[in-house]
Amino acid sequence: MSGQATIILQAILSGLMIGFIFSLVSAGLSLIWGVMDLVNFAHGDFLMLAMYFTYWAFALLGMDPLFFTPLNTLLLFIVGALVYKFLIQRIIDAAKTAQTFATFGLMIILRAGAQFVWSGDYRAVLDSRATGQIWIPGGVSLGRPQLLAAIGAVLSSAFLYWLIQRTELGRALQAVAEDKAAASLMGIDSQRMYMLAWGIGLACVGVAGALLSTHYYIFPTVGLLFGQMALVTVAMGGFGNIPGTFIAGVINGLVMVLSGLVLGPAFKYLGPFALYLVVVLGRAWGLFGKE
Amino acid sequence: MALLELSGLTKRFGGLVACNEVNLFVDEGEIVGLIGPNGAGKTTLFNCTTGYYRPDGGTITFEGQNITGWPPDKVSHRGLARTFQVVRTFKEMTVLENVMIGSYCRVASTEDARKEALRVLEFTGLLGKKDALGAGLTVADKKRLEMARALATKPRLIMLDEAMAGLTQREVAEAIVMVKAIRDQGITVFLVEHVMEAIMPISDRVIVLNYGEKIAEGTPAEVCANEEVVKAYLGEDYRA
Amino acid sequence: MRVGRLTVAPQVAVLVLILVALVIYPWLFTRSFPVHLMIVIFIYAGVATGWNILGGYAGQVSLGHAVYFGLGAYASTVLSTKWGITPWLGMFVGGAIAVLISLLIGYPCFKLGGRYFSIATLVLGEVMATIFLNWRWVGGAVGVFIPMVEESFLAMQFHSSKIPYYYIALVFLIVSVAINYLVDKSQFGYYLRAIKGDPVAAHSLGINLTKYKLMAMSVSAFLGAIGGTLYGNYVMYIDPTTVMYNTQSTLIMLFAAFGGMGSLFGPTLGTFVLYPMGELTRAYLGGGGRAVNLIIYGALVLIVALYQPGGLVAWFRQLTRKRG
Repeated sequence: MSGQATIILQAILSGLMIGFIFSLVSAGLSLIWGVMDLVNFAHGDFLMLAMYFTYWAFALLGMDPLFFTPLNTLLLFIVGALVYKFLIQRIIDAAKTAQTFATFGLMIILRAGAQFVWSGDYRAVLDSRATGQIWIPGGVSLGRPQLLAAIGAVLSSAFLYWLIQRTELGRALQAVAEDKAAASLMGIDSQRMYMLAWGIGLACVGVAGALLSTHYYIFPTVGLLFGQMALVTVAMGGFGNIPGTFIAGVINGLVMVLSGLVLGPAFKYLGPFALYLVVVLGRAWGLFGKE
Repeated sequence: MALLELSGLTKRFGGLVACNEVNLFVDEGEIVGLIGPNGAGKTTLFNCTTGYYRPDGGTITFEGQNITGWPPDKVSHRGLARTFQVVRTFKEMTVLENVMIGSYCRVASTEDARKEALRVLEFTGLLGKKDALGAGLTVADKKRLEMARALATKPRLIMLDEAMAGLTQREVAEAIVMVKAIRDQGITVFLVEHVMEAIMPISDRVIVLNYGEKIAEGTPAEVCANEEVVKAYLGEDYRA
Repeated sequence: MRVGRLTVAPQVAVLVLILVALVIYPWLFTRSFPVHLMIVIFIYAGVATGWNILGGYAGQVSLGHAVYFGLGAYASTVLSTKWGITPWLGMFVGGAIAVLISLLIGYPCFKLGGRYFSIATLVLGEVMATIFLNWRWVGGAVGVFIPMVEESFLAMQFHSSKIPYYYIALVFLIVSVAINYLVDKSQFGYYLRAIKGDPVAAHSLGINLTKYKLMAMSVSAFLGAIGGTLYGNYVMYIDPTTVMYNTQSTLIMLFAAFGGMGSLFGPTLGTFVLYPMGELTRAYLGGGGRAVNLIIYGALVLIVALYQPGGLVAWFRQLTRKRG
């Protein structure tokens, strides 16, 4: 295969792999947004938290990220439920601007808190079980951690989809998303559902964070770009729409890597963000259909 | 020429046809009532007429002008006002300020808007509560405020969407007096109602909708005697 | 003014007193730090007041307002360093560019709704910061130093004393508040509050939602840009991290929200309280990246959102209501 083609194939595969991570992270945000009409501006920073948990489990307890993943999922699920119970529940009926400020404030606290507690040093999980390269025909090499992370993300997204679409729990969540009053008449406790949505939403981030830690630097502001990517992905794919968000995440991953290739690594995030702005403009002009 | 005319109005939501080729008209000076069982398409019709939905077919003509597809603010400026089924009070503004928003549709200065709003408040009997916050009003007052605010835009025709819902008998009687007073001011009234005791005594003409189609039209007495109407309202126990 | 007004006179008297105090203030000190502090507070307060017109009145929360601040700073700086154009003119060029960008973002987003607008402002902020960090013609990450020239009003450079900067910044704040006052009292202000209160109802009363949101957006962006120009010329050095970063966006929004969204003096009050507090915290507790002041800021935003969305002004009103 020619050099050019190899580079492009490499880029596409990289884009897909990171795209699956975006999809998983965004699915969590999409769930919260869909079920209770709340935009969690701190979502990316919970991912940051998940990554730090993984790092410390590795550095202090010697636990490999891959084994820590289920534990991290549970941990972040609990964090999500607690955050809902003690914080979000208080503003669930407030004006949208108040909700925006609440999650934005939470974002700042998490980010600055991480800076304060763990300093701005970049950390990395080195020599985990996942490291290594995989060579595929055509001279393309895939990082083993990236590949494992991508597979993990796809499986988790599929599980989430199954959960929402095929289980009674998922149907209850959908009911609350559609009409809280009607759902309560059917005996569904909307507060419990909201707490669950936050739990599951952050559990997604728990999986993604653990998987990312195998090959991504961990630092206090890592949540900024992932968070914005999630916001953009959900806005593009449609809140509450898991498959739509999934596709948007993959597209954004591809666009990101390809923009990095074409415009240079400093501009790789511009691609997806510019795409978002174009889609928004298009939606306003009715090109891409309503929400 | 009718003041408001709907011709072949059709609106679909996916597979559901909410309004199906509805033809109706409202003449100047009339009070016309629109009734029908729940889901008959009454509010959809209102929303299409006032610009909140884009009709899939048909035309809406107001004072001879085709206003189909006009946005709500343009419709309002043209002289067609509406109230909402679930009241939309500006909760953090006072009663006076709420009405001023309506007045600003016709005047630009704050002083003029205030004067006009006070006039409307007096007409609707809310003058005593002019400094009360929107959030603290009773349901009846909120409905009255909703009407006052719409009246402040100096409409030729006002469309009331279930203005009597949730009111006590006495409040309904007061509202009826209000509606008649509005008509006496020269404003045509087109209202949707479920409260039969309210709509029958005051309407000159009643139009009945069922499953998105017009099934009857005539004086209140004629409509009540209509078998189709009675069947549609299975369970309703109203006799003229 | 929204504050419970008994008679006009006492309020005006207090305002005049404060104004006199502010005019005298710089002459009271021999050291320059107190004056410096006020200059920065005035500029931020002016920008926050501008933010408030869009966020507090119209209810459209801009999470990336530093874009306009930065555009103002960069426009006037580039014009003055490359072509010797006076910052007083550069200010308006920056303002015009800011307004244009704001309209480009605002127009599609306003059709979709408030939260899409907020997300878009966040994203735009990131996009702009990235562009300017990598744009060599405007200095990239290194930024632009404004060369020292002979002291003059035209060049907006004063070397012997900070006091002229002080008065320029004060005038900016007064103008910003005055614009806010005019908006508050006019049909424009009422319409914005109606749009924030219930857009569907507002629409039915003859209000063109998009048009008024865009107007609020333009004023807000313009004032942000003016503030940026003044800041750049005062500090005499700009780079993306100091004028076009999410840090500045957060501060602007925080000062306005904490002080009181939708009120006349709220943003100014918020800036006066929070900026010195942040500086103090940074000096005593946080150097070198220990972002304690940001933690406090974040907590304050959260507290305001949870307990008193009306901010300091609303708290103050509650207190005076209890007494009277």
